[in-house]
Amino acid sequence: MFQIAQKTGQDVIQRYKYNPLISINDLPQGCSDIWNAGVVHFQGQYLLLLTVETLEGLGCIYLAHGTDGYKFCIEPEPFMTASRNEPFARYETFGIFDPRITKIDSTYYITYLAESEYGRRIGLARTNDFRWVDRMQFISEPDTKSACLFTRRFGDCYAMLERPSSGDSIWLSFSYDLIHWGSSTVVLTPRGGYWDSHRVGAAGPPIETELGWLLIYYGEKDTSSGPLIRLGAAILDKSDPSRVIGRSNIPILAPREKYERIGDVSNIVFSCGSLLDETGQIKLYYGASDSCICLGVTALDEIINICLDSQEQYQQ
Amino acid sequence: MIQKRGRDLFSRWERNPIITRDNVPLQSNTVFNGTPVKIGDTYLLLLRVEGQQGYSFFCLARSDDGLNFTVDEKPCMLPAEEGPFAQWEENGLEDPRLTLIDDWFYIMYTAVSGCGHRIALARTRDFETFERIAMVSGPGNKDGVLFPEKINGYYARLDRPIGNGVGSIWISYSPDLINWGQSEIIISPRPRYWDASRVGASVPPIRTDSGWLEIYHGFKMTAAGPIYRIGTVMLDLDNPSKAIGRCLNPVLSPREEYERIGDVGNVVFASGAIVEDDGEVKLYYGAADTSICVASAHIDELIESCFESIDSSSEEFCRTNYPYRSN
Repeated sequence: MFQIAQKTGQDVIQRYKYNPLISINDLPQGCSDIWNAGVVHFQGQYLLLLTVETLEGLGCIYLAHGTDGYKFCIEPEPFMTASRNEPFARYETFGIFDPRITKIDSTYYITYLAESEYGRRIGLARTNDFRWVDRMQFISEPDTKSACLFTRRFGDCYAMLERPSSGDSIWLSFSYDLIHWGSSTVVLTPRGGYWDSHRVGAAGPPIETELGWLLIYYGEKDTSSGPLIRLGAAILDKSDPSRVIGRSNIPILAPREKYERIGDVSNIVFSCGSLLDETGQIKLYYGASDSCICLGVTALDEIINICLDSQEQYQQ
Repeated sequence: MIQKRGRDLFSRWERNPIITRDNVPLQSNTVFNGTPVKIGDTYLLLLRVEGQQGYSFFCLARSDDGLNFTVDEKPCMLPAEEGPFAQWEENGLEDPRLTLIDDWFYIMYTAVSGCGHRIALARTRDFETFERIAMVSGPGNKDGVLFPEKINGYYARLDRPIGNGVGSIWISYSPDLINWGQSEIIISPRPRYWDASRVGASVPPIRTDSGWLEIYHGFKMTAAGPIYRIGTVMLDLDNPSKAIGRCLNPVLSPREEYERIGDVGNVVFASGAIVEDDGEVKLYYGAADTSICVASAHIDELIESCFESIDSSSEEFCRTNYPYRSN
């Protein structure tokens, strides 16, 4: 049974009473940061792929698993580390970050951020069992990040959202083979005057609903003491996901609790994935202040309503 | 015949610039960054013209000798006003590069809009009708040049994304000219050198026995702004993701008044070259974003420039001021 902490502010997402779920103390060998986990339901278990920054400062990815979605156990060995083999190694010298998991057919694809002196690129890897993982290719030039694959093809084409640095917007690209990408178009841009006025990016693979694709995204507003990163939502058209049919004027989750305010990079809530269950509840796994992993829930309908209501206001 | 002038490896034509706004029969602000093709004995030069309004489009110029050009009365390619390309071209078309593949002249150009710079691809057979193919990059990318043949079954291009704040030359491959991937970095700016701040592809790669010769641009930031110069890099024939040689010194630098003075001073920026049967390379370059010029060098000299050893640019070489390049 989900136990809600007291509702703080007017956020649509309600926090789990025992947040954070995972913090840096849970990794026995120690680390600087834990943040931004991709999530998937796999063989009756909840799996999280955690971004871990080692004490040396290198990003790598750990696997955590749990049966109820609340309690997690972290595997002692990393699931993926920066590659030592070319042609991957030179693009991963600063580490790998922010994995997003998308199941297409029977394969689990992981889009992750690779960082090096050459910039930020999207790496694509795949696994069938979450034991062996196989890097496929880098699927972007620099600088781009926050890539998510859609869970199905559109016609013959796979689709991906990403956030190129130029313009700080969410873009959509298509591919026949997951390796060569094109037909890129812009989907969501920052909105002056709003909470997402400086930068937006996908915060997890879009979830297909009857109405359209639910996209939870992060939006950033720059303040005099640094960025303030919140989460919002949009609905993309089912058959043409470049078309936005709803977008929240207000954030669905904003940093308010101490663990969201205080950490290595404060005032951040940032997600790499959510799960929708058969009762219509969304479990949102989010990183807070780059220092821990938290859980929030809400009803799908609530998010959808906010997106659609906002759209009406926005158009008026 | 191009007379040698200056101490750069490339020799400027003594009657540079070859095209200025006075030669364009349209209201224009400037003309620069032209890309050439030679069809039989006719030279065509696709020009970037910046209109008085401030945005750029393309005009065509024709010549019998590659030196004296006449610019057509009307522009040949304007920003799309309707259809899927319109939203990406609302602020103009810039810096075209022509590559001939199988009877089609492909034009890679920069499309400019509120969403940033993107690389676009179009093609023509006759320079009268132009067919847009696709937008082939995300935003923040430019200087796309297409290789003149497939490599290992894929089309290939060079371009210049910004990674980690630095503009470098990358390569990407495509099965269909629409979807691109397998991107790799080829060269980055070099600290201390003339190309310390940014590098980008300029001339569509030229096939030689020694590899793919790429004539590129590099700049060094100074207190008064960037100095754009031109250099050479040699890419492996079978695997052009790999640079096998790179010039130490620029092969052309802004020195003449028309290169120093203009809307954007201290810029020489090539967008194409013609390799003549005798090995002469005619390089077409924009000067100070205000005119188009031509310079010439022998292909063998350019190849050699990619393999200059550190020794040849040692103290003695620098002190005596390019001894083996002077007349």
